[in-house]
Amino acid sequence: MKFILNYLHKEVWSPYVAGILLGLVGIAAVWISNSLLGASGAFENLVGLIGKAVAPAAFDNMYFNFIMPPGITTSVILIVGIFFGGMIGAASSGTLKWGAKDTANSDHQWKRIFGPQTWKRWLVAFVGAIVLEYAAGIAGGCTSGLAISGGMLLAPAAFLFIAGMFASGIVTALIIYGKRY
Amino acid sequence: MMNYIVALILGVFFGFALNKAGLTKYHKIVNVFRFTDMAVLQFMMTALVVSMSGLYILRGLGLVTFPVVPATYIVGNLLGGLIFGVGMALSGYCPGTCAAGAGEGKLDYIVPGLLGFLAGAAIYGLTYQQVFPAISAIANYGNVVMPDLWNLNPYLMVLLFALMSLFLFYMIDRAGWQRKDMLKDE
Repeated sequence: MKFILNYLHKEVWSPYVAGILLGLVGIAAVWISNSLLGASGAFENLVGLIGKAVAPAAFDNMYFNFIMPPGITTSVILIVGIFFGGMIGAASSGTLKWGAKDTANSDHQWKRIFGPQTWKRWLVAFVGAIVLEYAAGIAGGCTSGLAISGGMLLAPAAFLFIAGMFASGIVTALIIYGKRY
Repeated sequence: MMNYIVALILGVFFGFALNKAGLTKYHKIVNVFRFTDMAVLQFMMTALVVSMSGLYILRGLGLVTFPVVPATYIVGNLLGGLIFGVGMALSGYCPGTCAAGAGEGKLDYIVPGLLGFLAGAAIYGLTYQQVFPAISAIANYGNVVMPDLWNLNPYLMVLLFALMSLFLFYMIDRAGWQRKDMLKDE
């Protein structure tokens, strides 16, 4: 019992233990609600909501009317859950960062390679996030909605996606890390 | 209403697992591409083995039916993956890990991350008609799973996947497929 409690307070678990937990969550999603986990779709539902309020003419298209109708869908609720899950996880190990200093550029490895400037981290992360979401759209899902959720059903799509993701991830890391790869 | 409560609870456990696996950290994501920390791969493959075995067994027992399977259209899945990897290596996020990292209270996840995903979603939705139908029409096999596509025994495929994963874990943990990170010594 004490061992379990101590383990819950650890900041980083063995990836195998955390992976078993994610696998069980994937099973539960199908078993309880006949649904798949996914994160990228939520942003499409949300931006549709914002877009239709701010620029209704531009967002009055096939995609936002029929393919991904805007709204507070279960995908949006799932990602709200992910947000709180991250919060609880960090709280359990005493690593919660709300209100802490120096979270604008939070990673020591990033700072060592690219420097302490916040604007640089934010610019690259912003561009990266746009690229991620656009790519998830083309692929039909992201790491959770396609790689994990499709992979666990043995959908070929998932393994094509994973192969592509690792290939270009390795090449990109090689280029941006250069000699320090 | 019930759907929303279930989604919220699933999300909490999902985000918790991402946090505990360390995936809400930039260096964890990027270092899998440098072969200096394979946690992302170990985490994903373990989750796949567990959920795959569980779901195929439950389906065999008649306890679950599969939801709509993500569609296979070879060029789009692969091209999407190729673009996705670039975004991952640049930002150190996935959409899910960014949401969990934002929950931890890190500003570089909350501001550029969440705004970037919303911007990306807007750009995708506004260009969807010009891009997606054409790409997804190429080599489209529909909502198919490999055992049906190739007429293979699904349990045998799950077993093979599990054995392949165990072999990979062995190579990572015991046979030096994980490089020593020189950055740590600087």
